[in-house]
Amino acid sequence: MRGLSRELLRSGVGRVGVALAAILATLAVWVLATYPADFGPSRWSDPSVWADFPKAAPPSWTALLGGEPAQHRILSATEPAGVVTRGPAEIRTYAMPFTYRESEPPTFLSFRLGEVGYTGRPPSYSVVLVRPDGTEVALYRGTVNGPRPGEEPPYVRNADEPVRVLLSAETGAAEATAEMLAKAYGVTVDPADLRGRPEAALFGVPDGSGRFTPLHGEYRMEVRLAVADTTDTVSEVGTVVGGAVYGLAGTDTQGRDLMEGLLFGLPVALLIGLSAAIVSTAIGTGLGLISGFMGGRVDLLIQRSADIVNNVPLLPLLIFMVFVLGSQLWLILLVLVAFSWPGLTILIRSMILGLRGGQEVEAAVALGANKRHIIRRHIFPHTAPFVFTQMIFFVPAAILAEAGLAFLGLGDPSLPTWGQILENGFRTGAVFLGYWWWVIAPGLAIVVTAVTFMLLSLAMEPIVNPRLRRDS
Amino acid sequence: MLLAVLVLLVISLGATGYSDRILNAVVGEEMRGLRTTLAQTIRDPDELDQTLAVRQAELEQSYGLDQAWYSRLPGMVARVLTFDLGTARTLRSTEGSNRIVDIVLERLPNTMLLLTTSLCITAAFGLVLGVWLATRIGSRLDRLVSWVAAISYALPGWWTGILLILVFGFALRWLPTGGMFSTPPPTDPLGRLLDLLYHAILPILTLVIVSIGPSVYVVRTMTMSVAQEDHVTLARAKGLDERTVRNRHILRVAAPPIVTGLILGLAGSLGGSILVETVFEWQGMGRLYYDAIAGTPDEGMIVALTFMFTLLYVIARLILEILYVFLDPRVRYEDGRARAV
Repeated sequence: MRGLSRELLRSGVGRVGVALAAILATLAVWVLATYPADFGPSRWSDPSVWADFPKAAPPSWTALLGGEPAQHRILSATEPAGVVTRGPAEIRTYAMPFTYRESEPPTFLSFRLGEVGYTGRPPSYSVVLVRPDGTEVALYRGTVNGPRPGEEPPYVRNADEPVRVLLSAETGAAEATAEMLAKAYGVTVDPADLRGRPEAALFGVPDGSGRFTPLHGEYRMEVRLAVADTTDTVSEVGTVVGGAVYGLAGTDTQGRDLMEGLLFGLPVALLIGLSAAIVSTAIGTGLGLISGFMGGRVDLLIQRSADIVNNVPLLPLLIFMVFVLGSQLWLILLVLVAFSWPGLTILIRSMILGLRGGQEVEAAVALGANKRHIIRRHIFPHTAPFVFTQMIFFVPAAILAEAGLAFLGLGDPSLPTWGQILENGFRTGAVFLGYWWWVIAPGLAIVVTAVTFMLLSLAMEPIVNPRLRRDS
Repeated sequence: MLLAVLVLLVISLGATGYSDRILNAVVGEEMRGLRTTLAQTIRDPDELDQTLAVRQAELEQSYGLDQAWYSRLPGMVARVLTFDLGTARTLRSTEGSNRIVDIVLERLPNTMLLLTTSLCITAAFGLVLGVWLATRIGSRLDRLVSWVAAISYALPGWWTGILLILVFGFALRWLPTGGMFSTPPPTDPLGRLLDLLYHAILPILTLVIVSIGPSVYVVRTMTMSVAQEDHVTLARAKGLDERTVRNRHILRVAAPPIVTGLILGLAGSLGGSILVETVFEWQGMGRLYYDAIAGTPDEGMIVALTFMFTLLYVIARLILEILYVFLDPRVRYEDGRARAV
């Protein structure tokens, strides 16, 4: 083993491989420690989690390449910043400040109201944007749903899912914006022109030609909630200032943060690669040892079946088997393993046939060692480095095979993998719609992981084949 | 060999009850349609149910659902082996035939075009570059090739295809983004051929990119191993010129394993072509496979295609074994069996 690590660090290929492997392993451990185990169903596949995220937004760093798109801001408040009490009633003001410095206006504004509990009159609320110059625009007014006939207090609303309002699309927001423009700048704009996209006006100053120059500074979204009873409760209010870009990897058309999916895909990919590799090398080596050492009928049987399995084109059969058996991850792994042991079995057997006739084994036999001892002490150690290299070599093969299956839509639906993210993007037409970040990043992740193991196995090759060392 | 694969397929279809499930779904679908039609003519609900039950039994018998899978499926194997591949459910050939054998044979040349072209290019580059590199082991270029081989192996073909589409199809607009012909296709034969080749550039390039690295690397390593054998040293010591040493003493010995490697690469290409054809909407057998899986799965088509892919592979192996006789004088076929002397 010490020789192995020395050999690995000898070549540039090996050093890069080891470094990459260390990075991947650290990331994977971090992801495992911080992500919930049921990330797939509980977060990734739950649309309500991603409702506040921008849809199909490119990564934030694209801003560096030109333009200055709006950043995405998800704001929320659980405690009011100020309370005005009038007898039993009170007005709570929730403030959500943010700084706006970009040259492009936000893409949308939305509002959400979490769980509300009340006993008497339903609470009402207004959503107000306070601009750096102090002007206020009341974008939306609403009231929590009233009691149903026969319902007893306390009344609880929005318990499962917050109420969401797309402020940009509201007629009231357009009218309030037009009013603000008339009051503050004396500019008359038809509210119908602002409907659906009031952001440029809300976050800008009219430049006289019918357009707006951005107004940078400290903004505040305020939610003013009027409750009839001071015991009424509100779990959370929030607003979203929609951006055109998001995160390190962008989002898909459902608003899912691709970075999260990509990170979660790492331990999954490593799990697939390593477990398939370990199991199939174990089976391959075990059968090879048996076949080589036992000889006779057992040998013939193992070699014949290895020949058959070794001679089928893998992917069509893999597709077929997964299609028939189902696409749970463990089944995919099982099928992968079932078709990948024979190569190693044949090789190990031929190595053993060489070793068995050698002097070391002859000496051991002469000393009265039994078969098991000979296999363990005098045969397996000679094949070990070779087996280990094969195992590393098999990791990328398994990862690539799973990704290929997932790309055909045969992935495990409960676990998001890189192949599935790519398949999702491809099927949604990301390639044709120009959502390049959706297809490039997951593929790159697959390639980097596979390359890591390829480099490791390349660096180990001289151990297996010492001739390669002579001239290098 | 072929038979073993087929039996494996059929057993997995049958033993998992998958075949029964699909057929039941088909019968159920037909019964629903029948119920709505019959409901207009037969008013009495009891009579309707009776008529439907009789019809259902007939249908089940015609699909063989009343027999156990192991008595139904051997017939299927026999049919597949004689190329009586049955009919597809929804997929059609361009002439509208629903016979699987028509559809598959229509797609076969398209797949072969991609596979053989890319295999030839890969093999040619692999041989020339690999042998050339074997004389420069340890050089900077050689180390570079190790990297390229690792990356090339790690590249999923379908992703490479998507990247190429993004770059050459959308960003640069040099090459078509998919399909086999422009719309409308050119009418004169020469124009059609050129159009086809124009559309084939990206898929072939993709297949070559993902297989060329390992190919060069294998040839390089094989050649180098042989180049260090004693007989090569002896040949050099005899004063033979480097060219003769390379052609007669190194390549002659390294040829069989190199050919094995190249033909085995075909197995990878076969699988790769399924994904690459899917990405490029290339109307070959791979794309057909994808279409047969997506939507309502077509059992007969899937069995037939798996069979065809295996058949292609077996043919390739056969060619390999024939080549062996010429390349490796130690292999001779006697009494119909290979014997290593």
